[in-house]
Amino acid sequence: MEPLTLDMILVMSMIGLAIFLFIVEWVRVDVVAILMMVTLPLLHLVTPKEAFVGLSSNAVVSIIAVIIIGAGLDRTGMINKLVAPVLRIAGNSSSRIIIAISVTVAIISSFMQNIGAAALFLPAIQRISKMQKIPLSRLLMPIGFSAILGGTITLVGCSPLILLNDLLAPFNLEPFGLFDVTPIGLVLVVSGITCFVLLGRFILPQGEPMDGGESDSAISPSASSDPSKSDKDQTEFYELRTPDDFTDYRDPVFVEDLRRRYLLNVVAITEPPDYKVISPNPDVEVRSGIDLAVCGLKKDVLRMASAEGMHLKDNLEIYKDSLSTQAAGSVEVVVGPRSAFAGKSLKEINFQDRYHVTPLSVYRQEETYRAQIDDIVIQVGDVVELYGTWKRLTVLHKEGGLLFSLPSDAEEMRPEKTLWAGFWLVTALVMIMGFKIQLSVALMTGALGMILTRVLSIDEAYQSVDWRTIFLLAGLIPLGIATEKTGAAAWIAHSILSFIGDVSPIVLLTVIGILSTMFTLVISNVGATVLLVPLVVNMAIAAHTDPRMAALVVGLATSNSFMLPTHQVNALYMGPGHYRTVDFIKAGALVSVVFLVVMIAMISLVYGI
Amino acid sequence: MSIITISRGSSSMGKAVAEQVAQKLNYQLISREVLLDASNRFNVPEIKLEKAIHDAPRILEKYRHSKQSYIAYFRSSLVERVIGGNVVYHGLAGHLLLKGIPHVLKVRINADMERRVAIVMKRDKIPAPDARARILEDDKQRRKWTQSLYDQDPWDTSLYDLTICIDKLSVENAVDYICLAAGTEEFKSSEKNVRKAKDMSVACRVKASLVEEFPNISVTCDYGNVLIYMKGRDHMIGKLSKKLNNIRENISGIHHLETHAGVEPPPDAV
Repeated sequence: MEPLTLDMILVMSMIGLAIFLFIVEWVRVDVVAILMMVTLPLLHLVTPKEAFVGLSSNAVVSIIAVIIIGAGLDRTGMINKLVAPVLRIAGNSSSRIIIAISVTVAIISSFMQNIGAAALFLPAIQRISKMQKIPLSRLLMPIGFSAILGGTITLVGCSPLILLNDLLAPFNLEPFGLFDVTPIGLVLVVSGITCFVLLGRFILPQGEPMDGGESDSAISPSASSDPSKSDKDQTEFYELRTPDDFTDYRDPVFVEDLRRRYLLNVVAITEPPDYKVISPNPDVEVRSGIDLAVCGLKKDVLRMASAEGMHLKDNLEIYKDSLSTQAAGSVEVVVGPRSAFAGKSLKEINFQDRYHVTPLSVYRQEETYRAQIDDIVIQVGDVVELYGTWKRLTVLHKEGGLLFSLPSDAEEMRPEKTLWAGFWLVTALVMIMGFKIQLSVALMTGALGMILTRVLSIDEAYQSVDWRTIFLLAGLIPLGIATEKTGAAAWIAHSILSFIGDVSPIVLLTVIGILSTMFTLVISNVGATVLLVPLVVNMAIAAHTDPRMAALVVGLATSNSFMLPTHQVNALYMGPGHYRTVDFIKAGALVSVVFLVVMIAMISLVYGI
Repeated sequence: MSIITISRGSSSMGKAVAEQVAQKLNYQLISREVLLDASNRFNVPEIKLEKAIHDAPRILEKYRHSKQSYIAYFRSSLVERVIGGNVVYHGLAGHLLLKGIPHVLKVRINADMERRVAIVMKRDKIPAPDARARILEDDKQRRKWTQSLYDQDPWDTSLYDLTICIDKLSVENAVDYICLAAGTEEFKSSEKNVRKAKDMSVACRVKASLVEEFPNISVTCDYGNVLIYMKGRDHMIGKLSKKLNNIRENISGIHHLETHAGVEPPPDAV
């Protein structure tokens, strides 16, 4: 074994720093990657060229192309159209619905980013939950897990697998083909779904079905409600009238004051003489002798009526028509991945002024926020309940970034481009499989084809690219290079092997699988792959095991991220499914164990180790 | 129905001013009683409370959080005491602990150093250099205390509505000015001011009941809607959620209770 050098110590310190920063999240993961990209050449651990080689790597270009192809498929509305036939096949049985949607999501996920597939299906799943009266919590987790598992079906299904061939290149190992992992991925998907079908009742939370109508069209009168709310906590609409001397003996009262004081959202108010405003701005003054409609709990309405001397009407009168379910309603929207709203407070977004809709509450990780929600900074996966006219909600839907629980024709779809989108996807696949053209070139051809045939515009293609993922990949690649180049990977691998002694290939691969699973739970799957692949390849070479298989175990097992809501898909589904962390631990632990067993068994079966 | 806080350096005749103001306005005078209240209500030795509100936190205390607990208890007791109005409080940091109640007249009494030295020499029967050193040490401790806990300098005049130096002005002059200021419209209790004071009392009680286990929480109360702000999201949130029912039952004046984790608390949070 080579002696420990200063360079090795420096690389190990950088790895330690990266892992530490991934865990504490003082800065975002992609910023950590950029930090590595910049620091490594400064420390002379890699050359400047090597520091930025990630940006032009096969993996990074492939992932850009995969994202654009996914966005193109999405733009045609093709994926939404799959839901109807899938449902017809599934019927009413919740098990059949889980199987049908999970398989569909998994297949789609094998060609596009997991989070993209998960986000795409969320509105459809919410609608199915309502229509079939199946609790959302029983559908979302199996489908979310299938989206993650689907990423293991092809080599372009998830970032770690896309990255794998690039990480194998320095070792002169034969790269994997697009469908080399397919048998393993398919069995993993089937095993995951089987777990939920057979044991779902024991491992999934038994929620209540979502309320609502059975509308199948655009945003429409079928208000949704929070399944976790009991009758006592149910918000309702009430109409009140202010007395004629309301403004005589008090400081001016504004719409936002009523929300702050009584947690009541004014959804409609009369501006003198009799102009009805739906979803008024927070700074609208409540005047004397006017009618207003509020949404909230009865106890709060009674409190306000008593404290402010307002008259509570028995039913909606003035606003009976304008607030009828045909004209207006509330919807729960989920903040989608890369939404422009994420990272902004509700005050900054200013839904009332910009879209004339009123945010009623925010639901995030087991908590429903109703008070001072303006200050809450919205995150991906948050569920925001909005009230407004269907017309206004449709306008908001068109903006994108929010996943509405109801399907909509609001988004600008190009169904006429479906054939072109399909053609370019098939072309890319044929180039990869039939002509053995490099992954990045073939996929970029498909992406370019979609742009040239106007499936999506070049600007839409640029916007669809998740630059965080790109820089995360590109920034960590030099860390992998440095680990290998300085001999740090070989040194760590030999140290671990001398510690554990001689083991059989199966045991070694199992240990690598467990190690990868543990890493991926606390740091990003890309980070785990970049750090572990050079290490395990060296370990496998030293232990006389197939190094490609060791790398493959890492590539697959870094998708084994089910036990905590740290994976993007889990984080996205946690809010709408009203899951708690313990729900992920319960179901995720079982799926993770099954994943490891099936993966090792399949690798041994397919590759005969 | 004003609330007057009189902050002073040691031996600056603040106590004499406070006593005469209370007498002239027929207000209740409070100081050490707050310590006794807090000690009884929260079952904490008086000596520990006194140290907590007098001495600056030592390095280890910053991590033990015991000082935060004692100050939360003290603050809760102080707010309860002053909530009814017609009160003169003289003691440490009244102007900071009652921040958020609009009709509090915040007064600072300073005195000429030579006069302070003379008072300490006479009271403690010590020579001038010792008396001066004692005053300077006391001032230093108080400055450190306010700076470490509130990031404020007690000698910053912008913290007070009225700052009077007893030198050319006598104690009687100071009393007259304070009484005049207390009669100003801004310092009279109104329905709005009383509500704010009540809200603050609720927030202080909630904080006091949780601070021992959750030292980093901040609490606000607005019209009885209590928000508990917590840094980050971790295992403590589940633990806190279990306590909320107990709080709802035992603290009156709460209409609604919510936990906002990972949300920056507003500056006026307790």
